[in-house]
Amino acid sequence: MLKVENVTKYYGDFLAVDDLSFEVEKGEIFGLLGVNGAGKTTTFRMIMGLLDLNEGKISLNGEKIDYSMTDKIGFLTEERSLLTKLTVKEQCEYYGKLKGMTQKEIEENAGFLLKKFGVPDYWDRKIKELSKGNQQKIQFITAIMHKPDLLILDEPFSGLDPLNVEIFKTEIKEMAANGCMIIFSSHRMEHVELFCKKIVIIQDGKSVLAGEISKIKEDFRKKNIFVKGEGIDKKELEKTEGVLSVSEIGDELEVKIQDIEHVDVVFNKIKDKKIFKFVVEQPSLNEIFVAKVGEKFGE
Amino acid sequence: MESKLKFLISVSLKRKIKSKWFLFANAILLILIVSIANIDSIITFFGGDFDEKQKIHIVDETNVAASIFEEQIVISGEGILGDVTTQFEIIIVEDEEFDYEKVIEEEKDDIVIYLKYNEENYIEAKVISDAYIEMMTYQTIVAALNNTKSTIALLESDIDMEELTRITTPVSIERVVLDESKDSEQELQNAVMTTIFPFVVLPFFMLTIFLVQMIGAEVNDEKSTRGMEIIISSVSPEKHFFAKILAGNLFVVIQGGLLFIFGGIALLSRKIFGSSSITDGVGAEITGIVRQVMDTDLGDQLIYVIPLTLILMLLTFVAYSLLAGILASMTTNIEDFQQLQTPIIIISLIGYYLAIMAGVFTGAVFIKVFSFIPLISAILSPSLLVLGQIGVTEVLISIALVIGLNFLLIKYGLKVYKVGILNYSTTGLWKKMFKALKS
Repeated sequence: MLKVENVTKYYGDFLAVDDLSFEVEKGEIFGLLGVNGAGKTTTFRMIMGLLDLNEGKISLNGEKIDYSMTDKIGFLTEERSLLTKLTVKEQCEYYGKLKGMTQKEIEENAGFLLKKFGVPDYWDRKIKELSKGNQQKIQFITAIMHKPDLLILDEPFSGLDPLNVEIFKTEIKEMAANGCMIIFSSHRMEHVELFCKKIVIIQDGKSVLAGEISKIKEDFRKKNIFVKGEGIDKKELEKTEGVLSVSEIGDELEVKIQDIEHVDVVFNKIKDKKIFKFVVEQPSLNEIFVAKVGEKFGE
Repeated sequence: MESKLKFLISVSLKRKIKSKWFLFANAILLILIVSIANIDSIITFFGGDFDEKQKIHIVDETNVAASIFEEQIVISGEGILGDVTTQFEIIIVEDEEFDYEKVIEEEKDDIVIYLKYNEENYIEAKVISDAYIEMMTYQTIVAALNNTKSTIALLESDIDMEELTRITTPVSIERVVLDESKDSEQELQNAVMTTIFPFVVLPFFMLTIFLVQMIGAEVNDEKSTRGMEIIISSVSPEKHFFAKILAGNLFVVIQGGLLFIFGGIALLSRKIFGSSSITDGVGAEITGIVRQVMDTDLGDQLIYVIPLTLILMLLTFVAYSLLAGILASMTTNIEDFQQLQTPIIIISLIGYYLAIMAGVFTGAVFIKVFSFIPLISAILSPSLLVLGQIGVTEVLISIALVIGLNFLLIKYGLKVYKVGILNYSTTGLWKKMFKALKS
């Protein structure tokens, strides 16, 4: 288990991470979310042991993370972290050996993953000659080929087409199923929702929302109602108490309400119309994120 | 499983040595060094009028001066040009209808000298040529004319021939040097030093540039691609730093060894292909230097000069690499590093110029003080030792000072490196670095 306990990090007088705590269980995919500059990279660097903490502690399977155990961690950075002048083979050898792998292990594991990701012929190709998406594949392969216990993924789907996103998703889920702890960071909330059971949203280094996604959604008072019917006046609906906005999505209306208690108010407003659909749904994680982070920006 | 430090060193070295540009650059270096050593043979191979002597036509109206000038140019020229009989052909003109314009028109290099009697100054001369006369040749002619005038003056003073011979015979000089440590061959050693110096310093200078550039490029490559994040998450910054330093220095030793081998091949090729006595090239100079070293006590001195120089140079290479590594960690791209590397190279140049000046300003306190300064001392200190201006103790002090600098660079530089390699912004850079130093 990865345990981040009351971690605080200062850069001089600047507070980068403020009393942050979370845990990642074996086989769990955990979402670490935040806008740019929120403190995600600093948190990753602290987990990797690259930065010293000012307060708190971080442990992996009960042990403090140091260079004796970084071989058990895989890290995929948001930016490309490949040495573009090298070939795929040289790159895999370089990062693989730094993770304590033997030449045989590198050739076997990397070869297997290259086939799995549909790029088996790239072994002797220079990184700089590859497309953005294929570079991302190589970066991902170098991050997982040593079969880490903990994998940190920062925007893993960057530059990928939908087909390759699916391949990545399958691999990530498979790794989690095999017991790998995964910290997932992305600005694409639909991906986070798809993978993660638990998340923490950080803003200015401080946790503003944490817990299980289902519970977060449940606790989040704003809801969305999807309505389909005949004779419903959109403008009238917008004026209804507790309605934040009404937007047309196809032949349906999406009614955002500020509190679950306003569902009845909306229903009473349209109950005399011909209604085919009236569904109350949880808000998306994206809405929750925008709402929570927006609060901090004074929205 | 090999250690990660060893692995990082081997990766850095392989990247450099296995690159086609390393092979290409060294192939060019080998060709250039062999060519320079055999430049005279190359020049003669392509042909030319190397046997032709420059003609000096003497039109003598005094009937005495020409023969004296002919003798004097040999004597005067020896100190300036060496054996002038192989370079000039003196023609005493007897043809009364001699036309200098026609002669020079036909042979542009020819020189015509008119010698006339002068009541006040014994003789006067007119030197005619198509263009400017080469400086050394002109000096030889002027010296010969002045000596001709002196000889005529002595002859007109009714001095008998025996007396005249005694007057014109060069003074016999016996050199006595009271300070035994500076024996009479020291002067010759100084001359050897001024000739041999560029051949020792140039490779050092080249290798310093290679070293600084290699470390800077590698660190910046890993930083700019963000590969550094992955690398430093697998090995400590200390290990990464030392791997770069050791790889850089090993590369310098390999490259230095190659330059040495290239020099050997060049000398060997010179022996095989032979040299021309007609043109005096750099190759001939090298042969001369080796002979001169063997002829002087410098050979004995080399027993301690070479090890001390090598130790000082190797330690200085380490200092340069440490400095390059630290500065590279602070920069965010190779362009910034290239700007920073310029002052480093200039530091090396200061040592080079001071070493040249040391022969001119013998015993200068300023130069002696600079010979202790690390980075500069690698060139300056051994030079002063060979020149006899400082002793072994002073060189040992220079070595100790470089070791001290290396210790400080490791102790404080590592703190900067640790922060610098993960820093991708130039905003507040110095603040961050000073903070790192204080930590």
